[in-house]
Amino acid sequence: MAIEYKKSLAVFTEFVGVEEAENLLQWLLKNPKGKINLAACEHIHAANLQVLMAIKPQVAAWPADEDLHRWLAVLEK
Amino acid sequence: MNALLEQFLSESRDFLQGIGEKLMQLESDPESIPLMTELFRFVHTLKGNSGLFDFPEMTRVLHASEDLMDAVRHGRVSYSQDLTDQLLDAMDFVGILMDEIETTGRIGNSHAANSVELTKSLRELLAAASTESEAHAPTPQGISDIDHPSVDQVLEEFAAVEIDYVDDTVASFGEPAFELDEAVAMALYRHAIGGDRVFWVEYIPEPECFFKGEDPFYLSRQVPAVLWHHSVLQKNIPTLSEMDVYSSQLIFQLLTIATQDELDDIFRYVPDQIQRIEIPALAFVAFSGSEHDDTVDDEFITRTLGFIHDGNLERASHSIRTMLELSAPELWSSSLLRWAQLIIELEPDNALIQCALINQLRTHEPLDLMSLVDQNSSKSIAVDDSHLPEVSLPHEHDEPDALNSDASHTDAALMASFYVVLNAQKNVLSVPASPWLAGRMKSVATTLIATYRATHQEEAIEDIEQALQEALAGNTSQPLLVWIDKALDNAPAISDIQDAAPIEVPVEQSPPEVPVATEEVTQDPSSKFGRRVEDTSPHFGRRAEDTNTMVSKTLKVDQEKIDRLMNLIGEMVVAKNALPYLANRAETVFGVRDLSREIKAQYAVINRVAEEMQDTIMQVRMMPVSFIFQRFPRMVRDISRKLGKEVELVLEGESTEADKNIIEALSDPLIHIVRNSLDHGLESPDVRVAAGKNATGKLLIRATQESDRVLIEIIDDGRGINPNVIKQKAYEKGLIDESALERLSDEEAVNLVFAAGFSTAEVISDLSGRGVGMDVVRSAVERINGTVGIESEVGKGTRLYLSLPLSMAVTNVMIIESNEQIFGVPMDMVVETVRVPRAQLSSIKQKQTTVLRGRIVPLLSLNELLALPQEQVPNEDDEFATLVVRVHGEHVGIVVDDFRETVDIILKPMSGILGGLGGFSGAALLGDGSVLMVLNPRELI
Repeated sequence: MAIEYKKSLAVFTEFVGVEEAENLLQWLLKNPKGKINLAACEHIHAANLQVLMAIKPQVAAWPADEDLHRWLAVLEK
Repeated sequence: MNALLEQFLSESRDFLQGIGEKLMQLESDPESIPLMTELFRFVHTLKGNSGLFDFPEMTRVLHASEDLMDAVRHGRVSYSQDLTDQLLDAMDFVGILMDEIETTGRIGNSHAANSVELTKSLRELLAAASTESEAHAPTPQGISDIDHPSVDQVLEEFAAVEIDYVDDTVASFGEPAFELDEAVAMALYRHAIGGDRVFWVEYIPEPECFFKGEDPFYLSRQVPAVLWHHSVLQKNIPTLSEMDVYSSQLIFQLLTIATQDELDDIFRYVPDQIQRIEIPALAFVAFSGSEHDDTVDDEFITRTLGFIHDGNLERASHSIRTMLELSAPELWSSSLLRWAQLIIELEPDNALIQCALINQLRTHEPLDLMSLVDQNSSKSIAVDDSHLPEVSLPHEHDEPDALNSDASHTDAALMASFYVVLNAQKNVLSVPASPWLAGRMKSVATTLIATYRATHQEEAIEDIEQALQEALAGNTSQPLLVWIDKALDNAPAISDIQDAAPIEVPVEQSPPEVPVATEEVTQDPSSKFGRRVEDTSPHFGRRAEDTNTMVSKTLKVDQEKIDRLMNLIGEMVVAKNALPYLANRAETVFGVRDLSREIKAQYAVINRVAEEMQDTIMQVRMMPVSFIFQRFPRMVRDISRKLGKEVELVLEGESTEADKNIIEALSDPLIHIVRNSLDHGLESPDVRVAAGKNATGKLLIRATQESDRVLIEIIDDGRGINPNVIKQKAYEKGLIDESALERLSDEEAVNLVFAAGFSTAEVISDLSGRGVGMDVVRSAVERINGTVGIESEVGKGTRLYLSLPLSMAVTNVMIIESNEQIFGVPMDMVVETVRVPRAQLSSIKQKQTTVLRGRIVPLLSLNELLALPQEQVPNEDDEFATLVVRVHGEHVGIVVDDFRETVDIILKPMSGILGGLGGFSGAALLGDGSVLMVLNPRELI
C-alpha cells in the first residue's frame, strides 16, 4: 500500500497511484481531522492530488522531495 | 527500426491504399453497406495498429476518422463529397506521418497542431451531421429494446460522449492570471528581457483522462525550467461525498522558460488540452506590500523623474537606492522602487515605463503597465501626462516646436493629446477582465480627472468620480467606458485635429477595437493550436500521382535481393554462352571432337536450367500494371473535380504483368498522359452536351499483352486533336518548316505533340501546358525501349498507345557482321532476315529499294549508316544479307555483310563519353570475352 492509514494519520510513501484516490477520499471524509504525512512521498497521482485539493487536510509532514513540496504548496491553509 | 514497426508501416500502406480505393468506390455507390463496413474495418484496424506505437498524432486522426466512418456506417451521417475530401486528407496526413516515421523513426512535434486541427474538422463533420439528424429525425432510441442495448447503440452513445467533451475542453481556457512573489516575478522579468521566451501554460486535463492511464500531475511536473506553477480545481465540488475522484477537475498553470519544442513534446498526447501563451516581460511587473502610512516625498519623485528625463539613469538609480534604504522594505512603495531600479538596470532606454512607475508613487494607484506597453508601442503619450506639469515626458520633449512655436498649434496639439489620452484610457479598459481590473479602473479614473483638470474642464470631474464608483461597485468597466465614449463623441473629428496639429499622434492606430497587447498575446496560441475560426483547413498536398512508394511495398522481399539475383543470373547466362566457344575450340584447336560433343551436351543442360532460372526470376519481378492503375481513380477524381469536368474512368487489363522496372518507369509518363487527357482532351460538361455527347466524358485505360510486349492504351472520347492546329502551332514554334507544313500527313501532324517544347494550351495551368509533358513522356518511354504513338479524330476522341517490352533485364539480340566487325541488333526490332539477290535491287530516287512480299522496302547499307567507307559484301550467290527491322511502324531493310547467331545478353547502357553516342543502345559482354556493340536502329536511321 502506498498509503498507510493510521488512527488519524495517512502516511504516503513513494508513488501513490490512481487506485488510492477513492480510499483516500473515504478516509478523509471519515476522519475530517485526519492529517497526512507526505515525507516519504515522491509523487501522487493527479486523482489523489485533486482529492487533497478539495479537502485540504492538515499536512503533518511535507514531502522531502522539494519539487513535490512546491507543487503541493496549494494545500497550505 | 524494429521488425514490428516495419511490418506496421508496410501493412498500413496497404490499408491506406485500400481506404483510398474504398472511398473512391463509395463515391459511385454511396449506399453500399458492405463497402462502408469494409472501409470502417480498414480504418479501425489501422487505428488499432497505430495504438501499438507511440504515435499519438496518427492515432488521434485515425480515431476521429474511425468515429466518422462508424457514424456513416450506421447512417447517422450521410455520405458526402466533403466527407470524402476530409477523410482523404486525413489519410494523406497519415501517409505523411508514415513517411516521416520511416525516415526518422518518429513523428516530429510540428505535426501535433495539424493533427489536432484535422481531428477537429473530422469531429465537426460528425457533430454537425449528428445535430442535424437529431433535429430533423429524432433517432428512435426509446423504442428499441432498452434492456439489451445493441452494440451499435453503445457505440453510438460512446461517440456522442466524445463529441461533448471536445466542445467542453475547448471553451474553458481562461486568461493568464498569476500572482507572483516579487522575487519570482523579477526573475521572470529578467528572463523575458534577457531573450528567453516565457510561456504561460494552462493545462486542463479532460475529465476522463484518468481512465486513459494519464497522470496530468506527473505530466505537469515534467515541464522543465518552471519558475512558477499553480494547480487549482475547476469548480467547487458541491458535496465532498459525491465527489467523483476519477473525473479530473484539475487545472495546472505554469510559467516556464522551456522552449516551445520541449513543451510540445511533453504535451504531445494532449495538445488540445493545453493553452500556451507567451508572456511579455512587463506583464510581470507588479508591486505588493503594505500601503499603510506609505507616502513618498514629493520632492524625491520630481527629482528622480528629472534624472530619468535627462537620461541620467545613474543618478536616478542612486536616488532610488537611497530612498529604499530609508524606507521599510515591506512597503508598497519599496516594492515599486525595487522594480524601478530593476527596470532602469535592464531597460535603460524605456524612459516611459520608468517615468510611469515613479509617477505612481504620487498617484498611489496600481497601474497596469501592460496598457503602457501598448501605448509605448504605438508611441502615443503617457497615461499620466497631466500629472507632471513640471516634467515633460519624452513625447513632449520630442516635439517642442509643435507645442511652442505656434499658439494655435499648441491648443490643437493639446486637444489632440487630450483625446489620445481618452482613447488610451479606453483601450486600457477594453483589456479583458484580469485581476488588475479594479486597480486599472482607478488608474483610468485618476488619469481622466487629471486630464480634465489640466485642460480646465473641472466640471467633468464629478461625473468621472461617479462613474468610477459605479464601476467599482459592479466590478465592471462598463460605466467608465460609457463615459469615455460620451466624451469622445463630443470630440471634433480626429482628422481635423491632425490637420491642425502636425504632431505625431497616430490616433487611428489605436482605435478602441485594436487589440491591446494582452489580447494579441492570447491570440498567439490560438493560431498555434489551430483554434482560430478562419478557414485554414490543412490540405496535405499529397495526391495519388505523387506517391511512388507504394510500388515497392508490395514485394515483400527486399528489392535489392531480387536485383542481385537478377544480376547473378545474367552473369550465369553470359558464362553459359562461353561453352559453345569452348566446344568449338576443343574441336578446331585441340582436335578432340568427342570432348566437343560432350561439352555441347552439357551446355544444353546448363542452358535449359539457366533459361528456366531466368524465366522464374522474371516471374518474380513481374508486377501487374494495376500497381500504376490503382492510383488513377483518385487522381482522375481530384483533377476532374478541380477542372469541373465529369469523367468516368474505365480500367481494363489490370492484371497484365510486366517487369517491375518497366512498370515503375511507366508511372510518370502515364500520369502525364492521363493529366493531359483530362485537361486538354475531355471537354467540360456543357461543351459536351452542346456537341451532342454524354455530359460525362469517358476515359479508358487498357493494358494488353502482345507477344513479348505490353500495350497500354489511353483512350478518351474528348474533343480530339486537330492536326491543322498542331501543324500551325509546331510551325509557329519553329519545330517544323514550311514545306513540312504541307507535306505532313494528319497522323504525323498529331504525333508532333511528342516533339520537344510543344504545347497547345493557351494558359499554363498547374496541370499541364508547360510544353514538356508529351516530350518527357516520349523520352521516358523510349528509355525503356518502348514506343509511343497517338491517333486522334477531331470531335471523337484521342487514342494514345504505349508499347513496352515485358522485361528489359536480358535482351535477345541478333549478331550481324559488317566491315569485319560484329554488331548486335535487338531481336524485338527484327522482323525478318532475307538474302536479296542483286537483281532484285531497284533504285527509286537514288534510294535502294526492294520488293518483299508485295511491299516496297527501302534498303539502307549499315556501313553507310555507320559512316564506314566500305561497300557491303554479298555472299557467293551475289545476295545481300538484309535485316528487315521495324522502325516507327515501318519496315526498313538494313543491308549487312552476314548474319550470325542470336544471343541473350545483359545490355549495359553506355556511360561517360560514350553515353552521348547516338545509334547505339549499349554494349554487352559475349561468352568469349569480347564486347558486342548493340545498335539502336531507331536512332541510326
